Amino acid sequence: MRYVKNPVVQFLAAGFVVLVAVVAVTVQLSRRAADEEAILDARETTELLALSVAQPAIPRGLVEGDVGAADRFDRIVADRMLVGDVKRIKIWTADGRIIYSDEGRLIGDRFPLGDDELEVLEKQGTSDAEISDLSEPENRFESGKEGLLEVYTRIVAPDGQPLLFEAYYSAEDIARERQEVYDKFQPIGLGGLLVLVAVTTPMLWALTRRLERSSRDRERLLMAAADASESERRRIARDLHDGVVQDLAGTAFGLSATMRDPGTDPATAQRLEPMAGSLRTSLRSLRSLLVEIYPPDLGVEGLGAALQDLVAPAAGVGMAATVEVFGVDEASEDSVRLVWRVAQEAVRNAIRHSDAEHLTVRVRTVGDVLCLDVTDDGTGFGPREDKDTGGLGLRSMRDLIREAGGRLDVRSTPGEGTTVHLEVAR
Amino acid sequence: MKLQLAGTTAVLVAVASCMAMSAPAQANDRDKIRVGSCTGSTDWKLKVGPEDGRLEVEGQIDSTRIGQKWNWQIKHNGSLSAYGTRYTAAPSGAFTVRRTVLNRAGTDTIVFRATNPRSGEACRGTVYF
Repeated sequence: MRYVKNPVVQFLAAGFVVLVAVVAVTVQLSRRAADEEAILDARETTELLALSVAQPAIPRGLVEGDVGAADRFDRIVADRMLVGDVKRIKIWTADGRIIYSDEGRLIGDRFPLGDDELEVLEKQGTSDAEISDLSEPENRFESGKEGLLEVYTRIVAPDGQPLLFEAYYSAEDIARERQEVYDKFQPIGLGGLLVLVAVTTPMLWALTRRLERSSRDRERLLMAAADASESERRRIARDLHDGVVQDLAGTAFGLSATMRDPGTDPATAQRLEPMAGSLRTSLRSLRSLLVEIYPPDLGVEGLGAALQDLVAPAAGVGMAATVEVFGVDEASEDSVRLVWRVAQEAVRNAIRHSDAEHLTVRVRTVGDVLCLDVTDDGTGFGPREDKDTGGLGLRSMRDLIREAGGRLDVRSTPGEGTTVHLEVAR
Repeated sequence: MKLQLAGTTAVLVAVASCMAMSAPAQANDRDKIRVGSCTGSTDWKLKVGPEDGRLEVEGQIDSTRIGQKWNWQIKHNGSLSAYGTRYTAAPSGAFTVRRTVLNRAGTDTIVFRATNPRSGEACRGTVYF
């Protein structure tokens, strides 16, 4: 799983997928290009044979169906045209009569020409190519062959009559030529990609290493900042507790003692009563603030009490808060501190934003995992609202949680409350 | 006039007897061979067989005399397919011409003709393939 998250592995996997896709596309494009190249080659060969060999060699009488003329022409064809890839030659008149074929049984037969063939007959210097339909009667002697490509162009008889010169090429030869062309394309496409991957992988590897180092540095800074903040909080809490709180407690105690003193005038005692009450309220608020700044006894034994102090302000906004802590006896100090920090953030968010009636903080151990659930039945929020609902503090803790090997999960639905769930190794 | 008519008649009889003397012979299951005598002492042979989708025609003249000039021609279905001039050569005093012709639909009629312009001797063989 760790490897799946590694950017280099992800890059290589993505590169492989891209490579496969590019190979597939390259194969298709190369095949198409190779087909076109092979067909173009066949067309050029046909035009060359037609104009340079066949047309000058057409004997008088061939068009009229003279058998001897066909034989004499055939002897030229056999020597000079039926070479290499050319498997069959046919020469047609415009009305679809075959006046020559190296398959003599076709001579004299008549088959209607197609539109493409008639078009080529009309325009000098043009040619066309198509895969032969071997089921047609004109190709009845080609049965058993894998496939043929027929290329046709225009020639002129000695009497000036336009004729259709048609050369047939083996599809296997075309495929072989295509493969030869493709073999030339392949190293360019694949080689380029492989070189690209080979060059970029070390660069990405170095970049990833740098990012990881940067991330670790950032986490160390975060930890240092958190530790510094904690030290500062501890100092402030200690100073307040040892100074202002003691003074206020002493004053409140003195006021109470004065009020109860029989020598105190009842009217004076009555005036002192709201002052003492206000002083006690301020003292509670100050103690809650102290707990929030830094819990006085944040250990396994004190976690429950610290959480109770944490949720104490909930009563002030009409929220019934419950704290449940089970089976945390063997939890480490670091885990307990992390649980408290996350709970602190979650409870603060719930009190400030949730408008909930009930708030539950539950800490328990499941196996070797310490679990925290802070649940409220408030307004909740949607996926895009967490920035506005104080989720920023929790997100800032994710690095600390990840560093501790833990997992934070915030589940919330508008109108159905919010649950902040933390799992961290005990 | 009577002498000319008698000469002509003799030539025709000789040609006819020459034709009658020719007899088919098979080189193999696929080839057809005919041999015969010309109007003089010369023998001819005509062999026709399939060759790579076509017909190979082989005509031979054997006069047993070296250096005779012969004009020859091959007709295919009545049309002149090939022609030329050859000399009988050592050691046998014969020559052979080979040409391919197209294998047309139906029966192909191959005629091999040779004439000695000096002696007037004529040879003619036919194969139906």
